[in-house]
Order: sequence, then structure tokens, then C-alpha cells
Amino acid sequence: MTAAPPRSARGAAVTTALLAPAGITVLGLVLVPLILVVRNSFASADAYGGVQGGYTLTNYQDLFEPIYLKVFGYSLGMAALNTLVCLVLGYIVSYYLAGRSQQRQMLLLLLIIVPFWTDFLVRTFAWINLLSPGGPVNSLTDAIGFTDGPTQWIPSQGASFIGLVYAFLPTAIFPIYASLRGVDNSLGEAARDLGCGWWRVHTRVLLPIARPGMLAAALLTFIPTLGVFVIPVLLGGGRDQLVGNLIVTLYTEFRNQPMGAAASVVLLVLMVASMAVFGLAARRLRRKTA
Amino acid sequence: MKHALDTVTAWLARGVIAFLYIPIVVVVVLSFNDSEVTYKWAGFSTRWYGTLADNTELLAALRVSAEVALISATLATVCGLLSAMGMARLARRWKTVFSGGLFLPLIIPEIVLGVALLSVFGAMGADLGMTTLVLGHLVVTLPYASLIVLGAYNALDSSLGEAATDLGCNPWQAFRRVTLPLLRQPLLAAWLLCFTISFGNIVMSTFTNGIGSTTLPLRVYSMLKGGLTPEINALGTLLVLFTLLIILGVGLRQMRQVLLGGKRG
Repeated sequence: MTAAPPRSARGAAVTTALLAPAGITVLGLVLVPLILVVRNSFASADAYGGVQGGYTLTNYQDLFEPIYLKVFGYSLGMAALNTLVCLVLGYIVSYYLAGRSQQRQMLLLLLIIVPFWTDFLVRTFAWINLLSPGGPVNSLTDAIGFTDGPTQWIPSQGASFIGLVYAFLPTAIFPIYASLRGVDNSLGEAARDLGCGWWRVHTRVLLPIARPGMLAAALLTFIPTLGVFVIPVLLGGGRDQLVGNLIVTLYTEFRNQPMGAAASVVLLVLMVASMAVFGLAARRLRRKTA
Repeated sequence: MKHALDTVTAWLARGVIAFLYIPIVVVVVLSFNDSEVTYKWAGFSTRWYGTLADNTELLAALRVSAEVALISATLATVCGLLSAMGMARLARRWKTVFSGGLFLPLIIPEIVLGVALLSVFGAMGADLGMTTLVLGHLVVTLPYASLIVLGAYNALDSSLGEAATDLGCNPWQAFRRVTLPLLRQPLLAAWLLCFTISFGNIVMSTFTNGIGSTTLPLRVYSMLKGGLTPEINALGTLLVLFTLLIILGVGLRQMRQVLLGGKRG
């Protein structure tokens, strides 16, 4: 409800009062803390897990040690692969959804919302049940003769990866479906009538329409994957770490706040960089369609 | 004419949707398993729910989570409503700046937000506990609350408020009698969604909890490091039920709007 713009001093005071709670929250609990993290990343740690003043680049230099570089490399690879799988599966599901009748779309959407809102930890430990030696998956692979007897599926990189895909797939489906659902079904048919094969209908007609959603889905998968720490611990056994694990370990186990801050800044930089890449892609896309 | 590949992708899509349910169904089924190990079926039993009810540590954590979620969801919804009303009074340029700040926590990795808050609390020498936990959860939930309330508020017909004022309502009465009742649905939706987000939050809680303020996800996480027990499956089943109730409470229409209409669900 848009009220008339306030002209009086009293109106301005009311506006300020209305905006103050959220404004103070963002300023005091987001912006100032972020600045402090950047500042702490140049400080050094004291023996008690506190932060000592001063400016040094040691924390960043230490992050360039091979063990940490391995974490960054592994994280980026895992996040890229997770994003790719979520995009492909997300597109397939969205295409299927968009082609159903209105009523069925609602029903199917509800079916995807339920796992999406199910507790993150529940969705993760569900896979421990499934992948345990002698568990359901193991029994199935025994039955078809793929394995023989109890098999160790967890902890492993594969289990960790399945957990990541499972955690992010619903998040990836929504934006892609949002951009595809407006498409008239007849568009694909028209393209087909005009001689497009199945692949061309998708690559030339539907994928370009879905692309804004795909970009959003990629952004919602790629960055958050880097920050995950629960899945690699529970399903991966904690050996192959993501950036999220690195940050938590540095803070809680090594009690090295400045280095943890430096790792967080690196994650922020990765975020800004990938947003720039996605932003550029989106702009190119807009210019093409314009 | 239907292409063969259309049939293939349709089955793939159905497979993916089924894939989303297999783990959840397994948790529910195994929670009724009368066996010490989770995965070997040994008959139907509800005994793990009994064990769950006797676990005082878990119950204490449940209480912490419920309290934190209750307070932070309320704060986030109120802040969201107030800023929606305030933003309507701003010039376009300031509106952009303010909403940019409001949605900033959505794009910054949550783990960085947690680290950042911990740094501030550390610098201030604040004790970690309920207060810091609530503040952390407020940061995480505020953007979602704002997203929903802002959308609903902007969709309201502005002439309704004016009509109320013309008919002799003062601004407060117009708000109480016209705006608030019209916003009841979206406010409830925002509150419930924030409650769920806070209740299930683990990343922010890791950095902002203190002694005596362990939340349910933190407790479950540390239990899981020692191995999965049927008791945790029983808890998982209750949480799945809780999700269903929330979704029913919010309503499918509202949920669809949140997930498909806005920037991020």
C-alpha cells in the first residue's frame, strides 16, 4: 500500500522508525561483521584462539599450502559437478512438469516442495540408512549380483556427492521450472512442425527460454555447495573436505580465527567472481534475445 | 507425434521425483524397525519413539530450537512488515539501496555470515548463548520474511488505505483495521517459513551457540557422528511430519508464489 511520500519532518521520522529495525539488523549484524572478517583475515592469532592486531599476509600465504589448495580444488570440482548434474536433472524435471496439465503441475510441484522443506539433516542421514553395509541399496545390488555381501558405500566421495545432489536438486528445479512454465506447449510443437528434430526443439527453442532459470539455479547450487560442511563429514567421513569444512575446522578445532577469516574471504571472492561470470552470461543472453 | 526421447525424459523425470522420496520413505519405515541396527528389518515396533521421548538431552535441544525459532521468526516477520511499510514511503533510489541491503544475506554464503557474527561477538566480548543464537537466526530469516511480506504489501491496493483515512481512520486505525487483516495470510506464511528455516538451521547455529544453548540440529549432528541409530530415524519421521504440517499451514498457493515468483526460495 503506497502511502503518499512524506513531506513533513514527522513523516520522515516515521519512515526512519519503520526502517530502523531491519536497517540496524543488516548494518550491525551483516555489514559491520563482514568488514571485521576482512580485517581479521589480516591479523594474527594469539595462543588462546583470540585475534591479535596487526596486518600480515601470512594467513593468505598459509592458505596457498598444498593441503589447503587441494581443498579449494576439490571444492570447486565438486561444486561444478553438482551444479552440472542438478542443472541437467532440473531441466528434465522442469520440462516434464511444464508439459503436464495445470492440475497435475500443482500436484507434482507439491511433491517437490515436500522434500525441499524437509529438514536438511534428515535428508542427509537418510542416505546413511540407504548406503549402510547390508542396507537397502546394498541388498539391491546383491540381488542383481552387482556386489556380494556387505559393501562399504559410506564413507566415500561418491556418497558425499549423492548427498550434495540430493540436497540441492529441489533448489535447482524451482527457478528452471519458473522460467519454463509460461511456455506455451504449442511452441515446441510448432518448432517440430517446422522440421526441428527433438534435439533442435530443445537446444534452439526451449533451452534458450529456460536459460535465465538455469543461471539462477546454477548460482543457487554452486556457491552454497562450497559452504556445506555437514555432508562431507557424515557421508564422506570427513576426509575430502569442502571450503565449508575448512572454515569450521579452522574456527572450532584449530582455534585459528584469522586464518578462518582468510578462508571466508576467499569464499567471498569466489562468490563475487562466480556472480560476475553468471552476470556476464545473463547480460550476453539478454543482448542476444533483444 | 510424440518423440521416443520425450518418453525417455518423462520417465527420467518421474524417476527423479521418486528419487527425491526414496530416502524420506526409508527414514519413516526404518523408524518403526524393531532392531538395534537401523537397516536390518526385525519387525514392526514403536519403541524408538519411546526412547526418543526419554532422551532428555534431545528434549532440551528441542526446547532451545523451538524458542529460538519462535523468537527469531517473530522478529524477522515484524522487521519485514515494518520495512515493507517504510520502503513504500521511500524514493525509488533509496528503495533499491535498502532492498539491496535486505537481500544481501541471501547471496552471501551462510557460513561466512556465521563467521562474521562470531567475530563481532568475539570483539564485543559477548557470551555466546540464546541471544547470539537468536540474532544469528534473525540474519538468516529476515531476507525470506522480507521477500514474502514485501511482495504481499506491494500487491495491496493502495486506495484501500486512503479510503480508510478518508472515512476518518487515523493511520494507526487504518493499519490495524485494514492493512493488517489483509496481510494476515502472507504474514502467517512468512512466519511459518522463518520458523522452519530457523528450526532446521545448522550452519549459523554452529557459530552462534554457546554452552547450554545447543539446538536440535546441532545435537543430532553430534549424535550422528557416533553413528546412526533408529532413534534418530524416529526423530526424522517426526520432522517430516512437521514439514507436512507447515506446508499445509502455509498453503500450496502461497508456497508456489514464494518459490517461483521471487528471487530465491
